[in-house]
Amino acid sequence: MIRVTLAQMRASLGRLAAAGLAIVLGTAFVAATLLAGDVMNRTGRDAVTATLGQADLVVRSSGGAAQLAEVRATQDVQAADPMLDGWAQLTGPKGAQVGQLVLATPSDERLTALTVTAGRAPAADDEVALPADTLERLGVEVGGTVQVTWYPLVTETGTADDSAAATAPTADATATAGPDGTVTDADGSITDTVSVVGVADDPTHAWASWGGAGLATAASTLRWGQTSPDESPVTLLVAVQPGTLDATHDALVAVVGSDLQVLTRDQAARQTYEQMGSGYGNVLVAVVLAFAAVALLVAALVIANTFTVLVAQRTRRLALLRCVGATRGQLRRSVLLEAALLGAGASALGMLTGSALAQLALTVLRQLRATGVPLPATVHLTWPVVVVPLLVGTLVTVLASQVPARAATRVSPVEALRPLDVPPAGSAGGRVRLVIAVLLAAGGLVGLLGAVALSTPDVGAGMVPLGLGVLAGATSFVGILLGGVYWLPPLVRLAGRAVAATGPVGRLAAANTVRNPRRTAATSTALLIGVTLVVMMSTGAATARTSLGHELDQKYPFDIEVGTSNVTADGRAQALPAGVEASVQAVDGVARTARVTDLTVLAGDGTTLTVSAVDRGDAALTLRDPALAAQLADGVLLVPDADSTLIGATTLEAASWDGLPTGAEPPVQVHGVLAGSGSRALITPATAAEIDPAARVTGLFVALEPGADAVDVLRDVQERLGGQPVWVSGPAAERAQNDQVIDVMLAVVVGLLGVAVLISLLGVANTLSLSTIERRRESATLRAIGLSRRRLRATLAAEGVLIASVGAVLGSVLGLLYGWAGAATVFGQLGQTSVAVPWRDLGLVLVVAVGAGLLASVLPGRAAARTSPVAALAVE
Amino acid sequence: MTSFPSPDPTTASSARALTKVYGRGPAAVRALDGVDVDFAVGAFTAIMGPSGSGKSTLMHLLAGLDTVTSGTVRLGATDLTTLDDDALTMLRRDRVGFVFQSFNLLPMFTAEQNITLPLDLAGARVDRVWLDQLTDTLGLTDRLTHRPAELSGGQQQRVAIARALVTRPDVVFADEPTGNLDSRAGAEVLSFLRRSVRELGRTVIMVTHDPTAAAYADRVVLLADGRIAGDIVDPTPESVLAGLDALRTLEGPAGEVAVGAAQR
Repeated sequence: MIRVTLAQMRASLGRLAAAGLAIVLGTAFVAATLLAGDVMNRTGRDAVTATLGQADLVVRSSGGAAQLAEVRATQDVQAADPMLDGWAQLTGPKGAQVGQLVLATPSDERLTALTVTAGRAPAADDEVALPADTLERLGVEVGGTVQVTWYPLVTETGTADDSAAATAPTADATATAGPDGTVTDADGSITDTVSVVGVADDPTHAWASWGGAGLATAASTLRWGQTSPDESPVTLLVAVQPGTLDATHDALVAVVGSDLQVLTRDQAARQTYEQMGSGYGNVLVAVVLAFAAVALLVAALVIANTFTVLVAQRTRRLALLRCVGATRGQLRRSVLLEAALLGAGASALGMLTGSALAQLALTVLRQLRATGVPLPATVHLTWPVVVVPLLVGTLVTVLASQVPARAATRVSPVEALRPLDVPPAGSAGGRVRLVIAVLLAAGGLVGLLGAVALSTPDVGAGMVPLGLGVLAGATSFVGILLGGVYWLPPLVRLAGRAVAATGPVGRLAAANTVRNPRRTAATSTALLIGVTLVVMMSTGAATARTSLGHELDQKYPFDIEVGTSNVTADGRAQALPAGVEASVQAVDGVARTARVTDLTVLAGDGTTLTVSAVDRGDAALTLRDPALAAQLADGVLLVPDADSTLIGATTLEAASWDGLPTGAEPPVQVHGVLAGSGSRALITPATAAEIDPAARVTGLFVALEPGADAVDVLRDVQERLGGQPVWVSGPAAERAQNDQVIDVMLAVVVGLLGVAVLISLLGVANTLSLSTIERRRESATLRAIGLSRRRLRATLAAEGVLIASVGAVLGSVLGLLYGWAGAATVFGQLGQTSVAVPWRDLGLVLVVAVGAGLLASVLPGRAAARTSPVAALAVE
Repeated sequence: MTSFPSPDPTTASSARALTKVYGRGPAAVRALDGVDVDFAVGAFTAIMGPSGSGKSTLMHLLAGLDTVTSGTVRLGATDLTTLDDDALTMLRRDRVGFVFQSFNLLPMFTAEQNITLPLDLAGARVDRVWLDQLTDTLGLTDRLTHRPAELSGGQQQRVAIARALVTRPDVVFADEPTGNLDSRAGAEVLSFLRRSVRELGRTVIMVTHDPTAAAYADRVVLLADGRIAGDIVDPTPESVLAGLDALRTLEGPAGEVAVGAAQR
């Protein structure tokens, strides 16, 4: 029987190839994912190891200067330093702002990964060494100065930390510059001027994922990072006399008191990496493997379809075998053996292909130095990478061939004796299957609706609706797929009627497509899965974009805001310096500006708040929601919060920034009205003048030109105003960033799903080619009675387009529904979700499907047209 | 090369020095070796011979289904060897009808759709009078809406004949039309073919190995080893059998053996 199986395999090698290709793609995906995960883990671990410099031992100290001194005093310890780091907010001379990780200067060069390449390491508290990138962004060189902004630690007594006060220039209570360049801001932050004394380099890229690291003294690092020097626990890096590792290790254990706290560098790195969440990398791998699972599912459908058709085509041969003495079991095992061989061969090829692709990608990334971190030179083919794809691929193939194998056993010996090919009965499916499919689909749908209903802001159900939604969605999808054999063929027939109206070629194509409902359903189903998922993700992304956009619109009623950062001696916000408005208006992309006066006021209910006064006409032009401007009127206070007690009649009185009334004018009566949108309290300049006649313009609302890049304009405005005591903030930039993140995520997801879609398109080509082989005699007849080669190819093309389009259209509809449901579940708790249709993506999907249908028919069409009418007329 | 005389309007199909070789080198098979033959308009001609004689090949070449290795083939006045594939296809669509041994109906179409298929492909209108006459003659009127799977073998072959005749072709080529039928259905089919010649004025060229079937024809052309080996006019089953026997005892190319009225 084995010999017969092998002979049959050899005979149908071409037909099995397309199915095999599906498995190759799926297993290549799996192999490449596993390898990528391995590279990520290795890179992450290497980076953590590099942060420990060349230290010999690592001590997890409970903290405190005493233990540090003991460790340093231990015999054979040459140097020991605590790992200190802080985050410094740097501002360059031109106003560019950078957040930079800063490390304490080590006492021994072995205890750090950083080296100083130009200048020297910082020795005093007002010195710093920075990475070359940072220096470039700040626009400063060695020998220049930068400003560091930091917040002093506040101890329980409420005053600034003594050590901080002792080492820093005295913070001025007012917002004026001190004699040595120190500025204390109204929010309590302190800005020092420090000099750049060197360039810090990171040759092992240990800190690349943190954006590089600079050097400063330990005291400065602690101060800028808002860390108390006594904070415990801390990691100590220890360098020992060469050759004394074990002895020193034991000595340190004695000092520290516990064996667990003294580790070698590699041990410590592994520990840190695992704590940090090497889990993160593994979660990512798991997510991508989920996509690989989808791809393999689609491949399984293609395999099942292929084997079903093969068995149908071999009916006479199988019947002959039964006549001659093969048992049902032998036939079944023959099909399974064929599947196993195909699966094993294809999986091996897939594993090799995936490894080759991963290696190629790694080499290219290394060449491009695209990532900041150094990448290993080769991929490691570990046991899981080799075995998992092989096992999975073979298993999927064998499982997929179970049903066709059983069909092979139902061939009766009599069919060998029938003189003609009897067309296969297009049986639809059992009743049990219908019932199960309907139950799953209906139940899932109900669950999905329930999840959507639960996702309103009123019901604080947390993550429950999402979990319910995912489960219900998956269930309903499975039900719909199972029932595909019932509802797909009628829809295909409907579509076919449209195609048939185009002429005889269309009629032939439509008739051929509906001949075998099961086969058509299986082919369309494979494509349906891929398209549904892609459209679902697209719809979700589009809805997310608009929902988050609405959120931001609610929060920020303007595109960009400029305001002054200082408070004057009389407790008012500093006036907007002259020329700022002109500078901003001169920036490319700025449409118009509106002057804003910010006032701190004391309301009638005792609360202190900041109100912004803006002219109604200006507001109408610069605020995004024109209705908001329409609500502005003299004597009216727009209140953003629906629960606020300020709604209704209330008073406003001018106050200083610490909440005390200035007494400039008596309290002014205003009427509080709920603002239609936005989160700012707004009044008109006339009302502001009543509250405080000395109030000055303190800022601007800026509206962007339509189509202007928010991020670019924001940066331009910041540069233009650099050096002035103003701040610039841009919600538009936040929205642009959101959109960017969503776009990238969508691209990645669609790319991952692309493999599944590709496999399903292979399935369409496979079905067409197998059907063509089956219909060789019919094609020959048609050629004999007058169908030209071109029209025969056109018939096949029409068939391909029909199958692909039906799958794509139905998949799009399902994807839209699931996408809306998913987005409603996720974003429902934020408030209203808008219904967004990703028209561009839908169009793309349809174009790709139609194109693929055409492409899939090219090879079968050429083969069909090439066979001479005579060759296929011979009676077998 | 034999020069070709001016085309005879009474010749429906003809061949001159027709040769067909399959394969190459030592495996080459000369299916036809220099065949010269004419088929008259309005006649029912049978091509007979033992298996391997090349009779099916001859028919395929005469009908424009296959390409010649050397020689010429004419359908009426048209030289088929000068036509490209598209022209041959149109020729088959408009001027030739086919009846196959295995019926070759399209299973997803009804009988009526199968019959009108050549017209459909040509985009031509269906002449309902002609169609009704055909279906009436062939006894298919109440089976028109059935699919091939619902028809008996004989009925299917009759549908095939109707399909072959619906375009009013110059020639109808039939390849073993009774091969898959029982004797009664076969006799029906053969008498329909003869009626289409006698009553509807068509030309039928039939390939068969069955002497009884050949006897329905007006003339039998005998083929052996790729060459014309005999010609029987007004055949009877006995004269055809005698002709076949004579073939078996002959060695090498034979001259024209005219077994004529003397035999009857």
